[in-house]
Amino acid sequence: MANGYAGRFLHVDLTDGRCSPFTVEDDRLRKFIGGSSLGAKLFLDGYPLDADPLAPESPLMVMTGPMVGSGFPGTSRFAVCAKSPLTGIWGESACGGTFGPELKKAGYDGIVITGRAEKPVVLSILEGEAKLTDASGLWGKDVYETTDLLKEADKGAKALVIGPAGENLVRFAAIGNDKGHFVGRTGLGAVMGAKRLKAISVRGSGKMTKADETRFREIQKAAIEEIKDSALAGSLHAMGSDANMDIGMINGDVPVKNWSVGEDFDLSSALSGPTLSETYLTRAHACTHCPVACKRVVKVPDGPFQTEEGPGPEYETCATFGTMIMNRDLAGVIKANEICNRLGMDTISCGAAIAWAMELFEKGTLTVKETDGLDLAWGNMESVLALLPRIARREGFGDLLAQGSLAAARKIGGNAVDAVVHVKGLDLPMHDPRGFHGMGLAYMMSNRGACHLQHAVLATEQGMASWPQLFPMKDDYKGTTSEGKAELVFHSENYGILGNSLSICHYLTDCLKPETIRDAFNAITGFGLDFDGLMACGARDWTLKRGINNLLGVTQKDDVLPKRIMTPLKEGAGAGSVPDVEKLKREYYALRGLDERGFPREEKLRELGLDDLLERLY
Amino acid sequence: MAKYNAMTQEWLDAWKEKIATSKEYREIAKNWEGSVSMIVNPDPEKGIPEPIYLFTDFWHGDVLEIALCDKAKAESAKFVMSGDYARWKQVAKKEVDSTKALMQGKLKLKGDLTYIVRNIKTVNKVIDLLCEIEAIWPDEA
Repeated sequence: MANGYAGRFLHVDLTDGRCSPFTVEDDRLRKFIGGSSLGAKLFLDGYPLDADPLAPESPLMVMTGPMVGSGFPGTSRFAVCAKSPLTGIWGESACGGTFGPELKKAGYDGIVITGRAEKPVVLSILEGEAKLTDASGLWGKDVYETTDLLKEADKGAKALVIGPAGENLVRFAAIGNDKGHFVGRTGLGAVMGAKRLKAISVRGSGKMTKADETRFREIQKAAIEEIKDSALAGSLHAMGSDANMDIGMINGDVPVKNWSVGEDFDLSSALSGPTLSETYLTRAHACTHCPVACKRVVKVPDGPFQTEEGPGPEYETCATFGTMIMNRDLAGVIKANEICNRLGMDTISCGAAIAWAMELFEKGTLTVKETDGLDLAWGNMESVLALLPRIARREGFGDLLAQGSLAAARKIGGNAVDAVVHVKGLDLPMHDPRGFHGMGLAYMMSNRGACHLQHAVLATEQGMASWPQLFPMKDDYKGTTSEGKAELVFHSENYGILGNSLSICHYLTDCLKPETIRDAFNAITGFGLDFDGLMACGARDWTLKRGINNLLGVTQKDDVLPKRIMTPLKEGAGAGSVPDVEKLKREYYALRGLDERGFPREEKLRELGLDDLLERLY
Repeated sequence: MAKYNAMTQEWLDAWKEKIATSKEYREIAKNWEGSVSMIVNPDPEKGIPEPIYLFTDFWHGDVLEIALCDKAKAESAKFVMSGDYARWKQVAKKEVDSTKALMQGKLKLKGDLTYIVRNIKTVNKVIDLLCEIEAIWPDEA
């Protein structure tokens, strides 16, 4: 067994109720490391790619990596992977919190779930022993209630839970970990719901082995000093991810009014990290093993959006339920965030779908007749809050939005599709490619559709991090140019992907020196990888997932930016600018070794050791 | 346009004049309160044998003071920023954005970061005005 790993995985077949441990050979671990990289490899090797994402035979994988549970800062992460019911291609979403380290302590590096239970169940894993128990009494309850009930039964357990949205197969349903952490993107809560798996509860006390414990302790100490010295870490602690709101609005990063307006400083000021800190913040909260504590805990004491003390919104949510829908009331964002958390819905895709609906309402394509009486005027939070449960329960107009904005637009037809801002069916996260062309390319080429977290482009292009020791970098990148961006995106993907395979938080990756992460990884695993070796793992991950997507029908025709993003803004830092898509794509394809179809070339697959994928593609 | 020797009082006076006469700055900075000092770490090879300390003070759109100072005064400011000469030069020549330099650890800040983020437009404007001054740098003289 390789150091850093629990040494076994768990396969759960919900159809026959069998829970069977299995192992993965060391050479596969060395090549794919863990997290979603290893998940993709298991998916390709063992499961039918053409099955419907919600079919029993489609697997849902919960994966950790070798650094998880080590105590190294930022290593609380885990990834959930499956074919996405929202996009129909590779789906994955990573999450912090408490579940990953606990799963390792309970004796497993990951869980692969197939089948469908006859009635709702909870999968409990206690010190390595897995069992399925009836969850009929939990079905219908929200994420917070279910989490509380599971913890009542076992105080020390860490839980992964779906809410009504997952049960009802909402295509952007999320999975919650201990209320404040969410597997948000690509609708993986619906996969869990289709399997009638209400929750996974884990508890354990096992300890991982490290190749060099003494060396690891030294590096861990150095990492903590680096974090203390990092302005980015300080910013995240003081303001959370919403620190981006003020700066992002100046730089042309923040979308306004469903991506149709270039700037609105009154909006950003009302919704910013400093405003949140000065008004509703009660304390900062940290994932396991994290000295940064970027999570917000908030309370709205009174008024129409009153909430109990609980998890607060991230930047993305402040944009989707704020700037995107022209809502200036931060308390309204907090309330929408709480409702989405409870119902178990991705706040990005959900907010994007509502912004899309508001635009169509303004244009008269949708009226109160179609919206079941809801006035979807921009900024009408009363209607938004009324709509959220209808989406989760798939009632009336809510059922249309529950299918995702692209599917909903296709049902309506006409110009409705032009107002959907997506790549490969996944709604754009809240970073505008007209202000940052590299991000546009990253959206086009990310393997789960438009994504800001499968790479480190946000950090490198916007100047939050600089890693000249990893690849050639300028001191400062101008956002509104496509020059040099293909190379920046290529390298930033290869490095950023490692966050997902090693299972280390992207923010910590941005705060720490690459040498520190490399050395900690090697002290844990003993793999002895240098930067080239690690970057090759990143490239292998990208190409593997691209190959899976090619097998699922993705071609170069899908590597595009939506019409809205190719329409220049009139104001703001990104005014008049759109990414040079053809140039970016041409240069990127050459770097990635993609052919004119958008498939990895044979020699690239051989170079990366993906011979089995080669056999499937050629 | 006149050229000033960077890191001298005449250069700082020109900067102060720029800020004082900028209507845009006055509007943007109407909420700013407090002093900011800049410490330039020594770099003998670049003509900076000793640390240089600069003190600036602003209040609700007015510029109260911009001057060379001693270490004690610099360290008494509400915000203290420090960094190598080469970095400061890049910032003053608009080759590197000051916020990015801060996030990447190329410049260090002591003080309330939340206040800086809240007033980032003010910070950017002050630096933009500095960038407008043509300067001769010690290592270029």
